[in-house]
Amino acid sequence: MKKRVFYWISGSNVREPVVSNVVLETGVMVNILKAKMEPREGFLILELTGDEGQIEKSIEILKKFGEVEDIPKIIQKDDEKCIDCGACVVHCPVGALSVDEEFKILLDEDECIGCKNCAKICPVNAIKIFEI
Amino acid sequence: MKTVHEINEKIRNGDAVVVTAEEMIDIVDELGAEKAAVEIDVVTTGTFGAMCSSGAFLNFGHSDPPIKMCKTYLNGVEAYSGIAAVDAYLGATQTNSDDDIDISYGGSHVLEDLVAGKEIELVAEGYTTDCYPRKKVETTITIDDLNQAILVNPRNCYQSYNGATNSTEEKIYTYMGALLPEFGNLNYSGAGQLNPLQNDFNKETKTYNTLGMGTRIFLGGAQGYIAGSGTQHSPNGGFGTLMVQGDLKEMSTKYLRGATIPKYGSTLYMGIGIPIPVLNAEIAKTCAIKDEDIAIPILDYGIPRRDKPELGVTNYKDARSGKVTIEVEIEGKKVDKCMRSASVSSYKVSREISKELKNWISNSEFMLTERLEPLKSAAPKPMKAKMKLVKDILSRPVVVGSLNTSITEASRVLIENNINHLPIVDENGKLSGIITSWDIAKAMAQDKHSISEIMTTYIVSATPDETIDMAARKMSRNNISGLPVVDSNNKVLGVVSAEDISKLIGRNGLHKI
Ligand code: SF4
Ligand code: SF4
Repeated sequence: MKKRVFYWISGSNVREPVVSNVVLETGVMVNILKAKMEPREGFLILELTGDEGQIEKSIEILKKFGEVEDIPKIIQKDDEKCIDCGACVVHCPVGALSVDEEFKILLDEDECIGCKNCAKICPVNAIKIFEI
Repeated sequence: MKTVHEINEKIRNGDAVVVTAEEMIDIVDELGAEKAAVEIDVVTTGTFGAMCSSGAFLNFGHSDPPIKMCKTYLNGVEAYSGIAAVDAYLGATQTNSDDDIDISYGGSHVLEDLVAGKEIELVAEGYTTDCYPRKKVETTITIDDLNQAILVNPRNCYQSYNGATNSTEEKIYTYMGALLPEFGNLNYSGAGQLNPLQNDFNKETKTYNTLGMGTRIFLGGAQGYIAGSGTQHSPNGGFGTLMVQGDLKEMSTKYLRGATIPKYGSTLYMGIGIPIPVLNAEIAKTCAIKDEDIAIPILDYGIPRRDKPELGVTNYKDARSGKVTIEVEIEGKKVDKCMRSASVSSYKVSREISKELKNWISNSEFMLTERLEPLKSAAPKPMKAKMKLVKDILSRPVVVGSLNTSITEASRVLIENNINHLPIVDENGKLSGIITSWDIAKAMAQDKHSISEIMTTYIVSATPDETIDMAARKMSRNNISGLPVVDSNNKVLGVVSAEDISKLIGRNGLHKI
């Protein structure tokens, strides 16, 4: 499974190799989607991939050094607006957009990394991005 | 064998056998065309895609005191009102006049908002006369406030269309959507085996079996009509088009949608469905056309010329699979290139249209018409317009520098020749960089001494056979003021500068490019 979290570290914890610790101790895969480090605090968006146990444990470790908040969705497709043209599909770098047998365009929110390519392409603004 | 009149009798009694063009494929495969023509009365088609050439005539009714509208804006989008006092034609691709909103809101969005019943801001100005003393009007309207809102689309429903790909190293934005560099994708459009004109087209005679002026059709969710052949109609090449008209007031936003093609502008997604009366075996056979039988020529949209190079041909079946392979020439070698194909029209909605039209007919809500006139057999001509190529303005002898040129020497060359750009070449005369007077000024300020330290090595160049419009566009896109011109061996032939071009086409011209 995949889980995306918003992570905030403060104070001296900024110097801790937290992400590496999480990887070493749990074996979870970590993808850093966004990172902004300041001298006294850091903001990260992390994507954790692993089984349920691994992810729970990762979150425990992360919590020791900072605050964790769930990000349920970065991007959403408004199916009312979408005209199922399919122009967005080839612009997705991770294959989160696909065409089903009925030629309906599907968005797999779990796979999406929030690159916004599809939103820039969509002729009818059917893709909404939640700025984090 | 059958007549439209007889089929209408059956429709009225609820006895007509109506199938979609997709269903007809299997029926003809199974029964053969002769039998299918006996069994089936009507085949319904459908298409839903970007149809730029769309718009509507709107009549606003008279204000008190009356005004003769000359400049008319709807939500900031200009509608052409040089018609009569309170009529205007709003084109789908007209962009918003507000720079902040830019091209993301245009005529097509106003049309959609009208159909959605939203309030629209109307601003109109006129010149005063004795019968029209009012100078300006500002109000809000909805579609219900209009006397007429008649959709009249001069060129819709293309029979087939080219596929677009891009050979260049840059991502480009076209009316066929965004094209990734180096054949990254193939964008295509059209409903293929569901396309109305395709299903009615007699390949031998290059004419249309049943449809023509006066044919009643499904248009944007309402009943509309074919007004005749569309502009640029070209049945000889299989590129027929239709002019259509219908009542905007009856349409639905499900089948009429304002859209913005990124960095191209607004366009209207239109849904059109056409019933084909199966009068004989010939017609039955034509209606069974399959995706794999309909060619999509693949053109290189990286070349912004009227005649774009054709790189290969695919068909709707392969294009719909998501991947298409063509053989292309890269640096003189032939290689197979697999491109991901993307549709810019919707097969899903096309299918829904063919089904909805089928329901209308089966429920006796839609009667067929006999055409008044067949479509014309015209072929479009190109525009007569003068074209200038880069080589036409490359008269000066070429001035270049080498890597050993000193900065002082380079600045002397620029001043003596009264130029701003100095291409730097290697020992074989091949382009290795470019410096501008600005680079030299910077070198002085930063105390740099060698050409290689200050020259730009990422160079955008032009070829002698490019049009000057292309060169101007390159400069404005990259925010530079000059392009070295090179031959196929990267040997420098000269420089074109923004100044050269603006001398040729005038200041205003350059801004518009
Ligand atoms: S935002 Fe990027 S990753 Fe997510 S669906 Fe769109 S193109 Fe794919
Ligand atoms: S580009 Fe937009 S309208 Fe087209 S399929 Fe993707 S989300 Fe839907």
